[in-house]
Parts: sequence; C-alpha cells; structure tokens
Amino acid sequence: MSTDGTILAQRIRKSFGPKTVLKDIDLEIASGEICCIIGPSGSGKSTVLRCINGLETVDSGVLKVNGEDFGYYETDTAYHALPPKKLAEQRTRVGMVFQSFNLFPNMTANENVMSGPVLVKGQDKKQAIKRAHELLASVGLAGFGDYYPAQLSGGQQQRVAIARSLAMDPEIMLFDEPTSALDPEKVGEVLAVMKDLAKKGMTMVVVTHEMGFAREVADSLIFMDDGYVIERGDAREVLSNPKEARTQAFLEQVL
Amino acid sequence: MVTATNKESRTTMGSIDAALKPRLRLRTRSEYAGWTLSILLGIGILTSVLTNPNFKWGVVAQYFTHESILRGLMLTIFLTVASMTLGTLLGLGLAIMRSSHVKPIAIAASIYITLFRGTPVLVQLIFWFNISALYPDLSIGIPFTDIGTKIDMNALMAPITAALVGLTLNEAAYMAEIIRGGFSSVSKGQIEAADSLGMSAGTRMRKVIIPQAMPSIIPATGNQVIGMFKGTSLVSVLGVAELLQSAQLIYARTYETIPLLLVASLWYLVMTLLLSYPQSKLEQKYSRTASRLPRKAKKVVLTEPEEGNLR
Repeated sequence: MSTDGTILAQRIRKSFGPKTVLKDIDLEIASGEICCIIGPSGSGKSTVLRCINGLETVDSGVLKVNGEDFGYYETDTAYHALPPKKLAEQRTRVGMVFQSFNLFPNMTANENVMSGPVLVKGQDKKQAIKRAHELLASVGLAGFGDYYPAQLSGGQQQRVAIARSLAMDPEIMLFDEPTSALDPEKVGEVLAVMKDLAKKGMTMVVVTHEMGFAREVADSLIFMDDGYVIERGDAREVLSNPKEARTQAFLEQVL
Repeated sequence: MVTATNKESRTTMGSIDAALKPRLRLRTRSEYAGWTLSILLGIGILTSVLTNPNFKWGVVAQYFTHESILRGLMLTIFLTVASMTLGTLLGLGLAIMRSSHVKPIAIAASIYITLFRGTPVLVQLIFWFNISALYPDLSIGIPFTDIGTKIDMNALMAPITAALVGLTLNEAAYMAEIIRGGFSSVSKGQIEAADSLGMSAGTRMRKVIIPQAMPSIIPATGNQVIGMFKGTSLVSVLGVAELLQSAQLIYARTYETIPLLLVASLWYLVMTLLLSYPQSKLEQKYSRTASRLPRKAKKVVLTEPEEGNLR
C-alpha cells in the first residue's frame, strides 16, 4: 500500500447548481506537511477539505490522495466512480475533524473513539478499548471515557473527535474550522492537541481563522477567495509579507 | 423606622406579619360555574349509569372473564403484536427505500405509502379477504418454467390471514412515514462523521442513524400500537373471532347488546392503559443519551481523571 500522506490536486472544479465554488484549484501537499487554508467565508476552503475526504465529489480535475486517485479510478477516457467499499477504504486513511464535532451522541467517549476500529476495521474490542484509553489520554481526557458527548464541554468534545479520527491511524488529518464553535477559553486546549499532532509528522490540512496557530505551526499557507487560490507559500512569509492585494486586505482585517 | 411600619401594618391589616401573608389566586365567577356544572354533570351521568337497569352490570361482570371473550382478547393481542411487528419491519424497509438515492426505488416506496394510507383500512381488509376474485390461484415457482406449485387463493386467504395481511400492509405505510421522519431528525453531520470514518451504509444505519432516530420514533410507534389494538376491531367484519366479534357472537344469541359492548370496551380500555406503561419506559430508555446523568459504569477500568472532574 502506498501510504505516503500526500495530497495532489490539479485544476479541481466544483459547482453547487449554478454557483461555482472551486475554480481550478491546484494543491500540492507533501507528506508530513502542515498546511493551513485561510480565507473569508464562502471562499470554498471547507469545500476543498470535504473533497479531499470524499464528502463532496469534484466535478473535474485531478485529485490524488495518498498517491491514489480519490473516489475514482482512471481509464483512457474517463474517471469512473469507485464502489462504496473501495471509497470507504480510502476514507479510513483520511481523518476529518468537523467544526461541530459530530460526535455520536448515542455512544460514550470510549465508544466514539472505538467506533472506527471496531465497526469499520472489525478490530477486537479489548484491544480497541485499550487504544481508546491511550488516545483519550493523549488528548488530555484520561478518565472521561464513560462520559456521553452531552456531558462534555465543547473543547472536550472536539478533543474526543480528534481522538476518534486518530483511532483509524490515518495518514492525513483534515480539520474544518475545529475551533470556530468553541468559546474563546476552550480554543487553546484544542489547538494544543493539534500542535502536539503536528510534531508527530502527520500530514495536516487545517481550515482555520486562528492566525496565531498558522504562524506558529503551519509549514505552508493557502489563501483562498471566491473559489480561487489567491496566494500560497511559506506560512510565516505569507502572513508577514503578503504579495497579493486581496491577501493584504484580508490579513489587515483579521490580524 | 422598620419596626414602626411593621407595627403599623399589623395594626391596620390584621394580626399576621404582612410579609408572611399567603398570596391567593383570583377565583372568577366562571371558575365557580365550571366547578358546579362539572360536578352536577358527573353526578348525573354516574347516577344514570348506576341506576339504569338496562346497563346490566351483573351481565357485564358475568361475561367479563367469559371464556370466548378471553379467547377473543388473546386473538386481538395476537393480531396487534403480529401485524405491528411485521408492519414495523416492512415499514423500516419502506423507509430505507424511500430515502434511497435510486429514484425508481424511492418512487415505488412512495407509491405504496400513498396507496395504503389513502384508502380506508376497512376497505383494504375486505379487499384482501376477496383477493381470490382477482387472482384465483397463487403460483409459487420460477417464472417461465414449469417448476413450482399452485395454491388456491381462497383457501390461503382465510379470515385470519386476510386480517393479518390487511393490517400489516396498512400499518407498514404508516410506520414507514414515522421511521423516515425519525431518520430525517438525525443531523447531516452525523452521517458525514460516519462516512468520514469509512463506515458502510449498513453499519451507519444500525449504529448511528437508527439509535438516534429512536427517540422520535418510539412515541409515535406507541401511539400506533394503541391505535392498532383498537383497529383490530375492524377485522370483525371478516368474521374473525377477535374481542369485538366474540362479544357480538354472544349478544346475537342473548340480545344483551349494551352489556357485551361494555365488556369489550372495558377490555380495550384496560389493554390501552397497560400498553402506555411500556411505552413510557421505552421513551425513558431512548432519551437517556440526551440526559446528563452518567451511565452505570460498564466493565471498563478507569484511570484517575487528569483534569477537573465534571461533577
């Protein structure tokens, strides 16, 4: 299996009805790279992430995740959609963390973290629960395994959600505005967990409004507006010295 | 100053401290009128029920546990349980079909639901009872070959079978809508989370969607069970000796119509009241995830919490 943690996109286009939300997007993310995507609302940054995870399909363009065409296989004339089982398999290698956590409310924190390994990979429950304890401990939630999501704070829920994604041992982790639904006090605890992850050499793509996180942790930065990639480059370079006028205007507003 | 005002209020407005005086509700004239009317009406009905000899409470008591009544009750319970179970399973299938992305499947389910909800269940029951007029023989076998057997539809559609088929097919249409409503109450984010973990459609349905849809399905299903229990009385037209028909058979002989209808009604009432208990239990069970109470500890070894405990 070519487990390499890279993402390659060439001229991705995506429309919702008459509205084109992604216009010829190019991406190249190396294994172990931490890439932040910033931009105003509606710029298409979340849609990019959702395409990489297969929650949306692209209309045209090349999308290779972990070195494989994602969700499709290529023939001489067309891209053919993969059967659900193959797609599911590709998805297990890409973890996704949502803005609204999306923990399963009918399961405890442990069961949430175990849901992937047990229900998808068919792993042994005893082994899975041991792993769940480890993962919850690694996000600072040791001892919270028997709590239901409703009993946890937003920050705790998001950390459980990160642990749930990590349980699948993905090569790539996607974060879709992971701190936007949190009150300011809890943002730090989630960012701390993400910084921890970044040190471990996992490929991470983070859609965020946390410029501090981008400056401190990210390797590369992409600025999107109106479905286009306006500017990309080294994170600190772009943040401190943006070249495009649109990027400058945006950063002036948020910094 | 304070003592002065206290003293003042005490002297001017009775002996109780003003701060401790109870606050009384306003009672309007219409409230008194309502009380009087209701009590008079209650007394009137009660005396009439108790004194009118035509109610024949003795006969009611005599037949309440009569063997054929009890047998009818058993059949009613059987019909309710069987058609509810089968109807729910079929309804689940229809609900899944109706939310299918494959258009013809969704349309087929929706046509089924329209047909069976749009026609009276009494008509459907009589229809299934007389289906042999439409299809005299039922052939089971492989199409376009000689393999298979023919079954006489008339013999197959005995009254009880027709009752079961009619009630089940009708119930399935209602249950399909209830279950589909439950499905749509599960947020899109849940489905996306399940998808992003790579869950198969079946696992997603069993582990994520159905458990979360239950709180909205259970109360509606409870109503359906109660409705079905009373609805089985319709199959008396097919001559199935369920509770109502058993009562009818007796009063056709003894002409004690009202007392026997009372016997049947009392049984329906008792069973309905009994059914509402498990319904409330089930509701509690499935709303548990929304509560903030920690669940009974499962066999999981806990380590010390590292940060502030929640309680």
